[in-house]
Amino acid sequence: MSEVRPVPFRGGGFRPRSIGVVGPIVFVVLISAWEAASRLGLITPLVLPAPSEAAAAFWELLETGRLWLHLSASLQRLVVGWTLGTLVGVSAGFAIGLFSLARAGLMPVVSALFPIPKIALLPLFIIWFGIGEGSKVATLFFGTFFPTVIATYAGVDGVDRTLIRMGQSFGLTWWSIVRKIVLPGALPAILSGFRISASIAIILLVAAEMIGAEFGIGAYVLLAGNLMATDQLIAGVAMLSVMGLTVGFLISRAERLLLRWRG
Amino acid sequence: MIDRLFSRRRVAHLLGAALFAAAGATATAQAAEKVTIGALRFTSSAPLFVAFERGYFADEGLDAEFSFFQAAQPVAVAIASGDVDFGVTALTGGFFNLASKGALKVIGGHFHEEKGYDGSAILVSNKAYEAGFTSVDKFPGHSLGMTQVGSSFHYMAGRIAEAKGFPLSDITLLPLQKVGAIIAALKSGQVDSMIIVPHIARPLDRGGAAKIIGWVYDYAPYQVTTLFTSTNNTESKPELVKRFVKAYQRGIADYRAVMLNQAKDPAATEEMTKLIHKYVYADRPYEKAAPSIKAGAIYVNENARLDVGDVKAQLEWFQAQGFVPGGFDYRAIVDTSFVEAYNLPK
Amino acid sequence: MELRLDGITHRYGAVTVLDGIDLAVGSGQVVCLVGPSGCGKSTLLRIIGGLEMPTGGAVHLMGEPPEGCFNPLTYVFQDFALLPWRTAADNVSLVLEDHPLSAEARSAVVADVLARTKLTDFANAWPRQLSGGMKQRVALARALAVRPAVMLMDEPLSALDSQTRELLMEDLIGLWERERFTAVYVTHNLLEAVRLGHRVVVLSRRPGRISEQMTIDTPLAERDMADPILLAKAERLWVAMRDEAAAADRELLHV
Ligand SMILES: Nc1ncnc2c1ncn2[C@@H]1O[C@H](COP(=O)(O)OP(=O)(O)O)[C@@H](O)[C@H]1O
Ligand SMILES: [Mg+2]
Repeated sequence: MSEVRPVPFRGGGFRPRSIGVVGPIVFVVLISAWEAASRLGLITPLVLPAPSEAAAAFWELLETGRLWLHLSASLQRLVVGWTLGTLVGVSAGFAIGLFSLARAGLMPVVSALFPIPKIALLPLFIIWFGIGEGSKVATLFFGTFFPTVIATYAGVDGVDRTLIRMGQSFGLTWWSIVRKIVLPGALPAILSGFRISASIAIILLVAAEMIGAEFGIGAYVLLAGNLMATDQLIAGVAMLSVMGLTVGFLISRAERLLLRWRG
Repeated sequence: MIDRLFSRRRVAHLLGAALFAAAGATATAQAAEKVTIGALRFTSSAPLFVAFERGYFADEGLDAEFSFFQAAQPVAVAIASGDVDFGVTALTGGFFNLASKGALKVIGGHFHEEKGYDGSAILVSNKAYEAGFTSVDKFPGHSLGMTQVGSSFHYMAGRIAEAKGFPLSDITLLPLQKVGAIIAALKSGQVDSMIIVPHIARPLDRGGAAKIIGWVYDYAPYQVTTLFTSTNNTESKPELVKRFVKAYQRGIADYRAVMLNQAKDPAATEEMTKLIHKYVYADRPYEKAAPSIKAGAIYVNENARLDVGDVKAQLEWFQAQGFVPGGFDYRAIVDTSFVEAYNLPK
Repeated sequence: MELRLDGITHRYGAVTVLDGIDLAVGSGQVVCLVGPSGCGKSTLLRIIGGLEMPTGGAVHLMGEPPEGCFNPLTYVFQDFALLPWRTAADNVSLVLEDHPLSAEARSAVVADVLARTKLTDFANAWPRQLSGGMKQRVALARALAVRPAVMLMDEPLSALDSQTRELLMEDLIGLWERERFTAVYVTHNLLEAVRLGHRVVVLSRRPGRISEQMTIDTPLAERDMADPILLAKAERLWVAMRDEAAAADRELLHV
């Protein structure tokens, strides 16, 4: 009765914030520790090369100008394969999201083909698309097509039906409804689909460049692995990682631009 | 293959737990000593299977055990990491790079390209053949499908180019990773040629899917595969290595006596084929597997003799191509104290 | 324009939601539709708006739409139905874009209806930045932009707090005074009904039938909620509905 106590605070937590500098610091600390361990002989070169050796391998690529050859070859394949996969995938996703016949016809096909590891089909791809750019682009195409289809039709399905009814109640044309209501409504889902499909494309780059590729980051990584040149392997893998980060950054920018309305 | 580097034992080494190794070395004496052999389910590994099945390893007081792999390179990685003790594999850029780190030693010879015995064949696609690629001289301007850059196929192409006097860059080399993929590309005419073991080459030629235009031994008699172990074994357990090699040599002797002259004693051939069938093509019925096993019998060096001069030549070729760093020579990776070495460099 | 409903019956599977609704709405008249929740008010409004096919009966529209009318039957939704990716002005513009109108004419209409709904300062705001009352004003501006002959409003004020509701009711009356549109206004709030309706129609619980109609003669602009006559009317409606509402509330949902 008489005792006066402050009410203890029980809220808070469960709200992780991102703290800008921590990420880079973690990277710097990890890499320094790795370098130090290599120099002190705690990590033998057989197990893992020192970061400085990987950096030297990268420098060599840069100096000889081969970096550009590898990078341009891979980027070209990525852009062509991903763009085609995305265009066809978004169209198919819209068809599934809008038309009953397409949904009934395409959905089972998509579900059946999505889980097939595209690498398993490589020998067939060689026969169908040749050992030139065809089979490489095809690998990336199939890798990006399926996740894009699924993200797109899920996005179309998720568009608020009241908004569509609203459009109809104002007598908007079918095409206007698709363009101005369904497309922007599905856009957030489509963009997160892009994030996934772009990562898959980068992951598949190594597989795509297994087939008769002279240049390409994937081919470089493969060769490094075959030759047990672990310094080049780490340099190549780091480049793939940087490619992934760059694509992620670009998609974030696109999201900020296209989804400004979400705040 | 990378994850094998991080195996238990490797990590133990990493942590500087040399204690483990020391303890292992002293506990030899009476009980049969355990050795692990890294093997591929290929007919070319047959001498190992023969030695095992006929108890030659046991005779040497070795408790041998096979660890099977899908590809050759991981065997080398596993030996470098100490998970496996002995292996037989082709000398490739990857192998030399691993060996350059000091963890591997070549201790004996195995498959050798030898005139008069089936070896690797040069196959040409029907399309290229019809367009005039009918002999090895016509190689320039054509493409060659191979597994990987820096593989033994790559090396063989280099030796053929050398023998024929044209630069290797006159051939378009296409790495396709898997033998299946190369065959697919050859059949559909997307690569002009490939180099492959005889028991794959002959049926393709006979079935009309491709044409054999030559044999590698005509241009490059060379030491294709070798027996190797870890430097740790050669240095701290030379006795054990000697015993292993002895058993292995007996396996080779049996194998050569029967398989290199199969017409001489069909009954013995049949028996040995049955023995090999336990390990190779075990998923096929014997009647189907037997012809492939018999056709896959390749020339294995007597007594596991090692063509040291050729090992040197190979290493130098890979170094010249830039696949293997310079700064070391064959002596750093060959230990000749276990078998007879021949063709020694002066 | 006038509206006539002849024997509207509607079923969802085995459940009859509406049963023989006959109703006439005169030109410039506001009819408020009240009834217990789940009795089929929204369904009826959707049928009137042509967004749903009735199982039986028909809705007729009579008379000529006013000059420049783009969408005779225009809907106002309870949850505003604004496109979150368009600003207030662009949400209004949306419903004009499919009509042959020059860009200048279109922006003139948009500016005009935004002014009429007191939104001029918020033309470029995103929906997420607007309060509920503002969003409904944008929705009203959008409806006005197509110069509707008949407004179909499904609980347009239900998502708003009572003060906002009060302000918007005044705005609605002001707009009606200017435009004199015909309207069917669904609400479950009886005070709202007696404030805005020339006529109040009570639907019974499912299957919905018209159980009571009441005319209110006081001109909309003069209605005052302190007026005992209006309060008495609201009270009478409540007495008529109360038992139905209680029963409807206890009903199991079998959908
Ligand atoms: N699309 C539909 N399918 C099946 N039942 C529905 C559907 N829409 C509404 N209903 C049912 O019809 C009845 C009337 O719904 P509604 O018109 O929304 O009622 P109110 O607006 O009066 O609350 C309710 O029982 C509701 O569950
Ligand atoms: Mg309702």
